[in-house]
Amino acid sequence: MGRVSRRRPTRGAAQFRLRVGFIVIAMVLSVFAARLVQLQGIDPRQYAQMAAKEGAVSVVLPAERGDILDRNGEALADSIDGLMVVADPSLTREDAPELATLLSKRLDLDYFTTLERLRKTDSRFQYVARQIPAAEATAAVEAAQEKGFTGLYTRDDPVRVYPDRDVAANLVGFLGTPDDDGSARPLAGLEDSFDTYLAGHDGEARYQTASGNRIPLGDATVDAARDGQDLVTTIDSDLQWRVQRWLQQTVQGAGGDSGYAVVMDTRTGEVLALADDPTYDASEPEAYPETLYTSRALSDVYEPGSVGKVLTAAGLIDAGKVTARTRFEVPGRLYRQDRPISDYFEHGTIRLTLAGIIAKSSNIGTVMANDLYGNGQQRRYLRSFGIGQKTGVGVAGESRGILPSKDAWTSQSADRIAFGQSYSVNALQMAAAVNTIANGGVRIDPSVVKGSATLDDGTVVGSDVATSHRVVSEDAARQTARMMERVVDPEAGVAPAAQVPGYRVAGKTGTAQRVGAECGCYDGTYTVSFAGFAPADDPRFTVYVVVQNPRNGGGGGSVAGPAFSKIMSYTLGRYGVAPTGTEPSRLAVEW
Amino acid sequence: MSSVLRSPSPRSAPSRGARSRAADAVARARLAVVPRVRRRAPRVPFVSLVSILLLAGVVGLLLFNTSLQQASFTATQLEDQADRLSARQQALAMELDALRDPQQLARSACSIGMVVGPTAAFLDLDTGAVSGEPQAAVAGPCGIAPRRPTYEPPTAAAAATRPEQVPVDTPQLTTDTRAQEQNGNGSGNANRTGDSTRGNAQQSDGAATANRGGGRR
Repeated sequence: MGRVSRRRPTRGAAQFRLRVGFIVIAMVLSVFAARLVQLQGIDPRQYAQMAAKEGAVSVVLPAERGDILDRNGEALADSIDGLMVVADPSLTREDAPELATLLSKRLDLDYFTTLERLRKTDSRFQYVARQIPAAEATAAVEAAQEKGFTGLYTRDDPVRVYPDRDVAANLVGFLGTPDDDGSARPLAGLEDSFDTYLAGHDGEARYQTASGNRIPLGDATVDAARDGQDLVTTIDSDLQWRVQRWLQQTVQGAGGDSGYAVVMDTRTGEVLALADDPTYDASEPEAYPETLYTSRALSDVYEPGSVGKVLTAAGLIDAGKVTARTRFEVPGRLYRQDRPISDYFEHGTIRLTLAGIIAKSSNIGTVMANDLYGNGQQRRYLRSFGIGQKTGVGVAGESRGILPSKDAWTSQSADRIAFGQSYSVNALQMAAAVNTIANGGVRIDPSVVKGSATLDDGTVVGSDVATSHRVVSEDAARQTARMMERVVDPEAGVAPAAQVPGYRVAGKTGTAQRVGAECGCYDGTYTVSFAGFAPADDPRFTVYVVVQNPRNGGGGGSVAGPAFSKIMSYTLGRYGVAPTGTEPSRLAVEW
Repeated sequence: MSSVLRSPSPRSAPSRGARSRAADAVARARLAVVPRVRRRAPRVPFVSLVSILLLAGVVGLLLFNTSLQQASFTATQLEDQADRLSARQQALAMELDALRDPQQLARSACSIGMVVGPTAAFLDLDTGAVSGEPQAAVAGPCGIAPRRPTYEPPTAAAAATRPEQVPVDTPQLTTDTRAQEQNGNGSGNANRTGDSTRGNAQQSDGAATANRGGGRR
């Protein structure tokens, strides 16, 4: 009994304590629950964000833009780390003059512009300088901090440099000042057409920091940047530079408006040099008018003139209509349906072989030979030579040229097309057409990209994917080459200035009437050109030089011929091509 | 606590022989509670072990954390240094690229009297034959045109005054002069110069001339 009576109050006390304890626990838990509902139920995102923000840093890992290289791996366009210097005017306003002096001296800025920016009211963000090489920008900001100035910061701002400046500038193009979000702004050339290929993808790193240092073992995710790919061109930058200078001398010497020059590897179709004149300096494009930014060797169209005669002759030989020795009795004037055709030189009736017609560049002879073509053959051959179709080398803004449609192909236009008028080409297109003859009658697509690369529109271009097709037979090409050799012969031909000492050279002059921009008609100005290849019996290079509107009275042989000779001579020497040592062509030009 | 139970006292043993023996046997047979031997395990070593483990753990963790943090400082510092060095490397590479600019190279070469080599000869090592027409380099102006500073379209008047300003490559002149001589001497065959004079050029492609004003395009 005694034991029972003693235990009862104890058990009661424990239960009482339990109850009290339980109630307390329940109250605490309901406070937790209420808080939980508040956190998770009412506005969970805001709290999650606030939690993530605390010490979390997200850094964009910029992808490095691929370089544009020449065929030997030398950079034509190079990316380097750059920084922008930005200021918080609310902090810099007071020391603005001193700071502006320091910055304008170190970063080569305009003092007054800088001062104005540092003093700007109602702003906490001002660009002070952009695209400064990282080393310079950091040094300048550190120097300012050492002197006790605050309010200057740096941010990533990649710099694109064009170390060779105007070398291949028309082809390479350039990047403008980046957009505010830091993305590149390609403005011309390969930079533009291969933007996606070159740009790569930016990555991102998220991690937690405390006072600027990363917290070890903290949450961190890294999405690595994928750098852009390098674009290797077929351009030989030394040769390109030399060609540009010779072209510049030629254009200036002749008082011409502009000029183009193309050097092609005959066997692979790789473009070793593609020069435009006048050109611009890609490292300071703003100093030049925008019209100079495009590659006019690809975008300008013009009538090729007498250079087109070799396409006519090659086609006719391939079609079995003539041979290089076929004899023509060429009258001084040829009366056709609508107008008489004459030659550039006065003559009575002369007896020329087809080789003579090419060597002396006779329009009348060419038209007479052209009459032998069957219906539609002339156009088919020209199409096959690539006339009227883009070369597709991968440069934006390339023109297709103009080849009249079948319906517009009248006998009058056929006459003019025979000697290179009434259709238009771009310089690379024409170089590729002449290269067909050099390459034994097989047209190979020209390429400026070595290997292969993907254009922004998804097309893959480059020397790896260049296709080729036979246009004329090997025999037709060989006969045409032998006829073209007579062009540079001092006795038989019209362009002895295009000879290359020691080598057999095949070529053709062109002096074409130009269609003026204003009247849409022939305005009395000329396009003079010279296209050729060497060594004539085993061609390695095709060179094409064009000068628009020379004002010194020169024609294809005297203006473009010497430039051709210099370029060809240098190219052959540079690539160590030995003369073939064979006897030059002695095809009869008269009979 | 002291032991409560003891073995029977020897005092109670009977003095007589058999009885006492029996008593002894009984006494022996009787079960008695032996005192429980309680040895206390010493507590100090265990406590110290636990404390030491705890302390070592805490200190170790602290040290580990500190060293991690230290490493993070070093990493940040090294990253900065790497950035600075790569920036410097790039600045130097840029300088090198600028020096490698063909125009720059040519100017430097020119300034020490180098000229562009004229045509070279080729020696075939197998046959010993020499091909090509080698020419000796001629000292003189190397004829490198400066970059066009900016572009201004040429006017007719400017073009007329231009011929004096033509820079030429001296070693390459041979073909030009030959052509010019032939232009001058070729009295018997005016056709030969072909496209190379404007007079000819203007008559060139006569059909097209007739097309002037035709508004083909």
